[in-house]
Amino acid sequence: MLIVRGIILTALAGVLLYLLLFTGGAVAPEARGRIVVVYWEKWTGEEADQMMQIVNDFNNTVGKRKGIYVQYLSMSNITQKTLVSTAAGVPPDVAGLWDAQVPQFAAINALEPLDDLAKQHGITPDYYKPVYWKGCTYEGRLWGLISTPAAAALHYNKTLFLKHANKLKAAGLDPDRAPRTIEELDRYAAALDDIEIDSYGKKRIRASGHLPMEPGQWIAYTAYWFGGELFDAKTDRFTLTSPEVIRAYEWIKSYSVRLGRDSMTDFTSGFGQFNSTQNAFLSGAVAMEQEGPWMANYIENLKPSMNRWKFPKEKERDMSPEERRNNYEWGVAPFPSAVPGQDDVTFAAFDVLLIPRGAKHRKEAFEFMAYVNRQDVMEKLTSLHCKNSPLRIVSPDYIRNHPNPYIGIYEKLAASKNAHGVPPIPILPEVIDELNATTQRIYLLQAEPKDALADAQKRLQEKLDDFRKRQRLRQGGEI
Amino acid sequence: MSVNTLNGNGNKRIARQTRRRHRPERWLVFVALVIICTGFALPFIWMISTSLKTLDKTMSMPPQLLPSPAIPGNYLTVLNHPKLNFPLLTRNTLIVAVLSVVGTTLSSALVAYGFARIRFKGNSALFGLMLATMMIPFPVIMVPLFAVFRFIGEHAAMPLLGTLTPLWLPAFFGSAFNIFLLRQFFMTLPLELSEAAQIDGCSEIGIFWRIIIPLARPALSVVALFTFMGAWNDFLGPLVYIQDPSQYTLALGLQTFQSQHGGTEWNLLMAASVLVIIPVIILFFLAQKTFIQGIATTGMK
Amino acid sequence: MSPLERRRLGSGLVFISPWLIGFTVFLLIPVCLSFYYSFCDYSLLQTPAFIGLDNYRELLGDPVFWQSLRNTGVYASLALPAGMLVSLGLALLLNQKVVGQSIFRTLIFLPSLVPTVASAMLWLWLFNAKLGLINTLLDMPPFAATIQGINVALGAVHLPQIQTPISWLTDPAWALPALAFMSLWGVGQTVVIYLAGLQDVPGELIESAELDGANAWQRLWNVTLPMLSPVIFFNMIMAIIGALQEFSIPYIMTGGGPARATYFFTMYLYDNAFTYLKMGYASAMAWIQLLIVLLLTGLSFWLSKRWVHYQSK
Repeated sequence: MLIVRGIILTALAGVLLYLLLFTGGAVAPEARGRIVVVYWEKWTGEEADQMMQIVNDFNNTVGKRKGIYVQYLSMSNITQKTLVSTAAGVPPDVAGLWDAQVPQFAAINALEPLDDLAKQHGITPDYYKPVYWKGCTYEGRLWGLISTPAAAALHYNKTLFLKHANKLKAAGLDPDRAPRTIEELDRYAAALDDIEIDSYGKKRIRASGHLPMEPGQWIAYTAYWFGGELFDAKTDRFTLTSPEVIRAYEWIKSYSVRLGRDSMTDFTSGFGQFNSTQNAFLSGAVAMEQEGPWMANYIENLKPSMNRWKFPKEKERDMSPEERRNNYEWGVAPFPSAVPGQDDVTFAAFDVLLIPRGAKHRKEAFEFMAYVNRQDVMEKLTSLHCKNSPLRIVSPDYIRNHPNPYIGIYEKLAASKNAHGVPPIPILPEVIDELNATTQRIYLLQAEPKDALADAQKRLQEKLDDFRKRQRLRQGGEI
Repeated sequence: MSVNTLNGNGNKRIARQTRRRHRPERWLVFVALVIICTGFALPFIWMISTSLKTLDKTMSMPPQLLPSPAIPGNYLTVLNHPKLNFPLLTRNTLIVAVLSVVGTTLSSALVAYGFARIRFKGNSALFGLMLATMMIPFPVIMVPLFAVFRFIGEHAAMPLLGTLTPLWLPAFFGSAFNIFLLRQFFMTLPLELSEAAQIDGCSEIGIFWRIIIPLARPALSVVALFTFMGAWNDFLGPLVYIQDPSQYTLALGLQTFQSQHGGTEWNLLMAASVLVIIPVIILFFLAQKTFIQGIATTGMK
Repeated sequence: MSPLERRRLGSGLVFISPWLIGFTVFLLIPVCLSFYYSFCDYSLLQTPAFIGLDNYRELLGDPVFWQSLRNTGVYASLALPAGMLVSLGLALLLNQKVVGQSIFRTLIFLPSLVPTVASAMLWLWLFNAKLGLINTLLDMPPFAATIQGINVALGAVHLPQIQTPISWLTDPAWALPALAFMSLWGVGQTVVIYLAGLQDVPGELIESAELDGANAWQRLWNVTLPMLSPVIFFNMIMAIIGALQEFSIPYIMTGGGPARATYFFTMYLYDNAFTYLKMGYASAMAWIQLLIVLLLTGLSFWLSKRWVHYQSK
């Protein structure tokens, strides 16, 4: 026993010594003699690999010429880590965050303003689709550039539409197209529901036409499709109790009421991970979902048969996007609006590149950001990530060769006058958390939409007022 | 942990005499333990089984206990995962864990000796104060500690933030829990030992180093193991103080598998987790007896 | 002070100096700073600005603060007693000399070695309503029959019945009990401390009680438990502090949902500090947490006089 112990302990000590001596963060040889721009990004997995391609392209071309080397680092908890490292005085040169951090970080002076650098690079507002440019600015200044954007649209499963064609037709609905109004969406959803009563007399949902919370990544912005706004920047007040917003949440509630709260919790709690074959849309559990353009990539990776519905992939090569769409088991349409005449409503989300305050290489960091925003580079990146372009002008080849044959629809949505971005609220992350919790309260039928929204309105307005009060005091030098 | 001055030899004899009578009871205990331990081991077995599956099999319905096909290659994949850099994570974790163990064990023993064996004015008041500090939740000091590290870094010309130092430095100044544990142990050692050494001309530090420390090895091993495990698994500390991925520890690195879009590679995550706990399991299995003896105050024979 | 006293004071202070320094630098100063920050507007990036009692006033009117406090309380009152009972029971079993004792001990201890992140993800999946191992097991005849039995009993006293499959983490009513149940998996460390305490119970006492005709239950109740009471007390205090600080598991597993049903105090504190960037507000929360812990441990110490027996000094 003693000998065994001795051997094991010696082995452990050996491993320890080896690791201490022979591993460590090594600097890439090609970085020598160049300015190293440290770039933190939230992506892991495939999306990280794709961004790495762009980074390598930069390092081999523009970076080489200008003596800049970008070092890409994937990280978790990136928001908090960026903030803390900024406070510690050791921030990265570029941080890849979410749209919601632009107003928040800008408001607490955590970012470097970029107006001067953008001017030097000839980057102007009209270069972008308006909604994305607006999202990068706060209180009249530019704080970041887009890395990849998205636009929310309705995704529907054609097979399920055909399977329930008779039910749809009986309800006076066309199984060959997507719903065009919210009212129509509800009727489609009801016809596509697959519900059974089990031996205990309990209602069990086997499949559902639509669930507002599945996947629910933009559930906080549902009001946009009902003609509502979350926030009025002029009066600096939340507008959560406006009739439009209440209507949006009444709509969310109506699904819990129709399907039964317990049956629905039961149904959704069995969903697998988003990025797996158990994904509710891929497994056919939910027929219609609000999603982004990347679905084409997810489907290609997880359930390729859905992207080869009628013929082999090779045949798509010489086809137009419209013809290619026939080969996809799923379709895309603008998510229907509840307001007649308001078409092409979308939430235009985006990922953003920011320079934290005190970054060591501000100018070089912006070189890289500007490179990512070059039309050819941006089109390569968004094709790899399977997203739409944030730029106003896109090349015909981009639309034609994009892995998502429906990309034209997202492009149209993002360019639409009814495209909404994140509201300019300095406490935005808190707002999103509150709205998500409010939505959960409502769909779990814990509270009436009117009351839950009144609670959220009161709490958030108090939080914002406190924020403003302290901001004023700071600026006035009173404290 | 209280004091036991009774000798254990006597009861062994009686125990031997009464062992026959105990058999049926022992049998029941054994069965109960087998059932409970199966329950405890089940998630663990599941973890190992998952670590050997292909990704799509991890989601199969109904769940499979035995992986088929079994993919031991998952472990190699983890070890060579480009996003994870397992050797680097292990290195960082080891640095933190080893320095914490050395620091905590040494300093806590020193302080515990002071509290247990030297009757100075204010001893019990300070000891009470130390016990009270155990009540302070980490979140209370999490943010200001950050400011303290920044201050030290700026004024000591030794950058602390952005390095692993904040994770192990405090260990060199004792930890209340361990000081308490060791103090209770030192209290049980007969004072005559120290007095005899003192007559022989031994200094306080000499008594500590030559007499107390060798006797305290079981207790010290407990402190060392608890500290090692704490440092090995700590999540909140690195989450707050470590920003640069090249300084991530294993606990933090594991979270990288939980991708932003929820596409977790369960099989790899579980393989990595198994790899992470193997060293600690070996340590515990080897030290198990010393360990439990050590927490108990039976150092004297 | 006599020369001897002075010398003792000197060497005593030398020995405890590491702790004195550590206490001052890593505890006293941060605690004072946090006390100061709790009266400030502070985002970590700007200098703290004094705003008086504003943070505390805002906290008292913040429903999420109260909810997180309530959640933590409910969780603690579920996890604490369950954990105490299970760990003590296990320790008593593991103290018996049976074949494979060290294997059993290792098995019980093993889970507390699993990294938090890994065990959180493991359980996330064990709890999955459709794919999870737990519901698969509950579906098997013996367990299903048990649930049926419980439901009949619940029905008899007009309580809502258990709906299977249980949506462990997505049903607000089940989420906290599920997390408390999961916490039992990690009792290993406590068990080890109990085991050590049990080595301290003099064998003579038990033997003589046995000779006096006391049965196993009487021996446990009248000899072992009183002898073990200081250890039980120690573990209880540690468990109270631990339960009130619960963070990593819910943070990774549920993110506080559904509808903030598992949003714990420390999570809201963390979010305020690092997501909403309100360090002052977070510090005020931390101080309230400290007050609660002090209050509870003070109460425990006061009550402990009735049931904790110290063997000797």
